[in-house]
Formats: sequence, structure tokens, C-alpha cells
Amino acid sequence: MSKIIPHLGGSRRRFIRNAGATVALASTGLSMPHIAQAAGAVKIGLIHPATGWAAYPAAQLRYGAQMAIADINAAGGIKSMGGAQIEALLGDSQTKPEIGAAEVEKMNEAGVHALQGCYQSAVGLAASAAAAKYNIPFSVDVGVSDKLVGRGLSNVFRMADGYGRIARDASAYLGEINAAAGSPAKTVVIVHEESEFGTGTAKLLTPALAERGLTVVDTIKHANPTRNFDNIALRIKSAKPDIIMPINYPGEYVLLAKTLRQQRVDFMTSFSVLGGGFNFKFIDDMPEIAENMIDVNHWYDPRSASGQAMRKRTEADGKYFTFEVYCAYMSIMFLADGFERAGSTDKDAVNAALASSTLEVDFMPYDKTEMVNGQNMGSRAVAIQAQNGDCQVVAPSAYASSKAVFPRA
Amino acid sequence: MAARNSTLLFCAIGFAALAFAPLGISSKFYLDILTLIFFTAYIGQSWNILGGYAGQFSFGGVMFFGTGAYASSILVNSFGVPAIIGVVAAVFAGAVLALCVGYLSFRSGLRGSYFALITLAFAELLRVVANSLEITGGGVGLFLTYAPGLQNLQFKTPVGFYYFALILLAISIAIAIWLENSRFGAQRVAIRENEDAAEALGINTLRRKCQAIMIMGAMGGAAGTFYSQKYLYLDPPIAYSVHLSVEMLLVTIVGGMGTVFGPLIGSLVLHTVNEVTRNFIDTPGLSLIVYGIILIIIISYLPNGLIGLFKGRGAKKTDARQGDGDA
Repeated sequence: MSKIIPHLGGSRRRFIRNAGATVALASTGLSMPHIAQAAGAVKIGLIHPATGWAAYPAAQLRYGAQMAIADINAAGGIKSMGGAQIEALLGDSQTKPEIGAAEVEKMNEAGVHALQGCYQSAVGLAASAAAAKYNIPFSVDVGVSDKLVGRGLSNVFRMADGYGRIARDASAYLGEINAAAGSPAKTVVIVHEESEFGTGTAKLLTPALAERGLTVVDTIKHANPTRNFDNIALRIKSAKPDIIMPINYPGEYVLLAKTLRQQRVDFMTSFSVLGGGFNFKFIDDMPEIAENMIDVNHWYDPRSASGQAMRKRTEADGKYFTFEVYCAYMSIMFLADGFERAGSTDKDAVNAALASSTLEVDFMPYDKTEMVNGQNMGSRAVAIQAQNGDCQVVAPSAYASSKAVFPRA
Repeated sequence: MAARNSTLLFCAIGFAALAFAPLGISSKFYLDILTLIFFTAYIGQSWNILGGYAGQFSFGGVMFFGTGAYASSILVNSFGVPAIIGVVAAVFAGAVLALCVGYLSFRSGLRGSYFALITLAFAELLRVVANSLEITGGGVGLFLTYAPGLQNLQFKTPVGFYYFALILLAISIAIAIWLENSRFGAQRVAIRENEDAAEALGINTLRRKCQAIMIMGAMGGAAGTFYSQKYLYLDPPIAYSVHLSVEMLLVTIVGGMGTVFGPLIGSLVLHTVNEVTRNFIDTPGLSLIVYGIILIIIISYLPNGLIGLFKGRGAKKTDARQGDGDA
């Protein structure tokens, strides 16, 4: 019934041969995940969006995780397990939840002992749920959805904060900075991306800001990706806010900042929450635009020697010291500590060890680790500001490396 | 008749083998990949019903998937309805949405690229609506509780979802076989080949096209329930993702439009190529380039899809036999 037009001629045989080779490769390839096998090693699967729009942060996460693994192995591995070395198994979620979950299946087949990922909360939700079926310890390196650790899954842990605590802290920091300047700011416009990360954070911020005497005059949602912020900039301009609060991923964060500059929108400061694009690269690439912008995010403790040393190593490798690097590093340290205290790769024992972790991470502005339902209650995000081409912690005052410039110069 | 019997026999043997496959495949990863292949083939077949057989190309097929997923997830989350009943609601929701979209579009005389674009617009509209409503969870999305059990259409191991996807695939292939062999299907092909001529012959084209899109919608709705029960999370970018709309037409075009097994072949080949390139190529992004090149080759040299390889060979053999006879 369907219309078929043979259209191959002499190339058909070659095509069939190639197709056969493809299928043969497939059957071989499916059984060959990227693992460097070694007896007795502790295998940690790293699942990140290595291809797709989040490839850059994924590469940073892989870099940080692999740096931590190299450091642990160089220091003698997991000592309670006879110096067992850690191996990384690399997985690519391709930014898709179903592929992230499939990677868990593949790594489980490969005998993984723990998993780490996934940058995007949606992928992390699917992958950690898949890991829960096998009780595989799962450490969220970056992923801010509070549902990641709030579903009663005993195998899922997160060292860094989720957006609930970050939104609370961000409103407190903004209130603190505003009050120190004599409370010149009264109004805020929130610009957020449309997924759970942006929407959830924006929802929590509105009442929290009201408690600090700041009124949200407009909340603008945008799609991922958004390639033009002209209309949004004009809408912000008409609302005349004192503060603009972006909550979005790297590409949109940078584009919005550039558009606000081009449209000459006047405001006291950009105070982003988990601004994906606020990092050393942004400050290097666009110093004039970045100057005095503030972001509340995961950040290392610039006063710590180990934090500074890690930054130097990262920069010596030609990479930017973004939050992905040290969050991934910290997450591996957390897992390694769990294996160390469990003394084995037994999943129940490792999960129990992770749940009772008291790890102290000296390169982060954190208190001692205390896991409650998988969330580290000792973690905190800090407010950072671009100042003279560098990045300074400006709140909370206990960790501040500089005083906030507010309103911006 | 002989062709239909051989197709049915082939299907019976194939599905029997696939039904027993989990006994021979110990790897849960392979089963999961097979599940994804079946799932993609199923949604590809739903696109094929309207695009391949009736000639109405849609760029927004994901709207039925998303609406079905939300329908069942809301029933499960907000009203405590078991997912096994939720899937019925999802099928119904997909079909009703399809009727609305189809009637409005076809009655307005939209064809070809105009119809394709209006479906894309509907999908985008629904994404924005889902982003704004409380009942869908807005941008935060909906989280489903992990509660394994047949009534919840959730399973502890990938084997359960394998059979779920296999059943969906079997249903979709049965629908395609029925279309190939029924008057109903013949009318759709007539519409695809020349809609004006079909109308002149007395075929109620509006009605037939609406029926075709309703079948697509109903199938898409069930796919939505499958996804939400498997991955337990749904938000507007997932539910109304352009990526899925592209994937459903891609597997069908690569495999062979307007054919029973085209979407399955397309899904099998594309997933295999994707897995192979991901496993053999370390450089991030390079696997996608290789994947793209393979796609270009397939589309350039096989305008009728991969199934054209087999049909072409069969036709040539038949021609040769006829030639021998003539001599």
C-alpha cells in the first residue's frame, strides 16, 4: 500500500555492508562502557550532560570530580579498604532524563558502587530514582531542586544547598546589604527561567523579599533557550525596579546582562540567585558589564588555603574555577569519606555512613556536615560580587572578603 | 492476502521472540535500551498513522504525549486514581485534544507545511499553559511517588517496563496492519496521494483526517502515561518538548513512512547508532556529529527509509522472476 521507490543503484551493497558493520559495532559497543577495569577498585559513576546545551558546566563537573579522584588515589586511596583506588565511569545524560536513567542501568551493570550527578534537576530526579531501585549511593554534585533529596530515598545525598535554603539566604543577604547602604532599594523584578529551578526559586523569593521590605513589582518567566531578551529588557525598563534578580542558566544569564546594558536599563544592581553565568569567565569576558553585579551561589571560601590552592591548580590547567569544579570535588570527597568509614562497598553500609557524615570541607564556607533527609544542613550559599575584575564574597559577613558595593558604582 | 498473512506470521514470531527475550537477556541495561527503542517506535508509529498513511505532517505530535502524561499524573497525584485507570484517561484526553486540533485545522483547510506549523503552535501553546497552571505544578512540575505495582504501572525492575513498552508497540503495529488492510486505511492513503481526487471520489476527507489524528492522539496519550510512570517526574519542557516531536517523525522518516515496520526499524537503527557513537567516541559532541552524518547518509540515499532496502530487493527479485518467465 505504501509507495516505495527503489533508489540505491550501486551503492546499496556498500550501504548494507556498512549497516551490518554498524549493527555489529552496536552489539560490541553496548557491552563496552568506558571503564578502566582494575581489581578491587571503588567505581564511581559520573553522569553529566556532556553533550548538549550544558556541555560546558558538565565538562567542569567532570574535571572537578576527576581532580578529586586523582587526589584521593595519590593519597593512598580508601585506606580502610586496603588502599582501594577510585575509578571514574563516565556517563553522558545528553540533557535528557530518560538517558540519565539509562546511564544508571548501564553503570549498575558495570558494577558501580556509587553515582554522582547530574547538573540538571530533572535528570537528577530520574537518575536518582533509578539508582534507588538498586540502593546505589547517589551524591548530587550540582542540582538545586529540593525534591532531589525530599522524596524519602535513603540513597540520595546532597552536600550543596537546594533552592529552598538558597532563596531564604539570598533574601537575607540582600536585606543585609540594602540595610547597610541605608535601604535605598524598595522594588525588585525577578526574571527566571521556566523550569523547576527558576520557577521554584522565584516562588520562594517573593514572600521572603517582602519580609525584608522589598516589593516584587514584576516576575518575568522565560523559556530555555531564549535567544533575545529585548522585550524582557523593555518590560523591566517600564517597571523601573531598583534591583533586577535573574534566576537562569548560563547562556540566558549572560545574554540578559548584555541586553540590559545595550538597552541602557537603569537599576541599582543585578542581584541574581544561582545565576548560572556568574563566574570568572563572565568577569573576564565582560568586565564592564559584570562589574558590581552580585550573585548568590555555591562558592568556595576564598580565605582558605586549600580553596586558593585548588583555584590555582584549576587555572594552571587552563580552566576557570567555576562552582561546578569544587562542588564536584566536594561531592567525591563526601562519597570517598563514606567508603572510608563503611570500610566496604556494601551499599547499605555506605548509605548509612553517608547519612551520618560529619565531614568537614575546609575549602567551602560550610559548617560540619550534618545530613537530614539527605540534605547537608551545614552548607550555605554566599553572596559574591564582581569587583575590579575579581570576585569577592560580600555576605554573610562571617565569610566576607570585601564590602559590598551597593548601589553599584 | 498472502502479504498480509506473511506480515502477521512475521509479527507473531517476532513478538513471541521479544516476549521471551527477558529470559535470555540478563543485562538490565540492554532491556532498558530495548524499552526505549520500543517506546520511540511506538510514538513514531503514532506519527506515522497521521503523517505516513494520511499524509498530514505534524511538527507538534508531542502535544498528545504531554497532555496524556498530565492527565494521568494529575489523576494519580491529586485524586489518588491508580495509573492503570489513569492511562485510559490519558488515551481519552489525547484523543479529545486531537479532535479539537484536527477539526479546527482541517476544517480551515490547513494542509502541508501550514498544518505542520499549526501543530507546532498548539504544542507551544500547551507548554505555556502548563507552565502557568497550578494543577500542572507550573514550572515546578509534578512529582509522582515511587510505588511499584501493576495498578500503578510502576515496576521494580526494567523487565516490567519492557513488557509495558512491548504491549504498546504490539498495539501500534496491529493498528498499522489494520490500516494497511482496511478500507479505512485505503481512504487515508487516497487522501495522502491526492486529497482533491479523494474528495471527488466521495471520501469525507475532514472526517477521515480527524479520525486519523484521533488515533495518533490516543496513542500519544498512552505514551505520556508510560513516560510519567517510568521517570516519575513531569514538567512542561519535558511534556511538550520539541525534541520528542522531532524524534517521532525522525524515526519514521528514517525507517520508512507509511509502512508497518518503518518506525520500529528507524527507532532500532537510530538508538543503536546513538549508543554506538556514545560508547566509542570519547570527545563530547563528536558522537552527535557522527550521528548526524549517518542520518544525512540514510536520508540522502534512502528516500523511502531503511525499509526501502528490503522492499527494493523484494521488488527486484520479483521483477527478475517475471523476466525469466517471460523469456
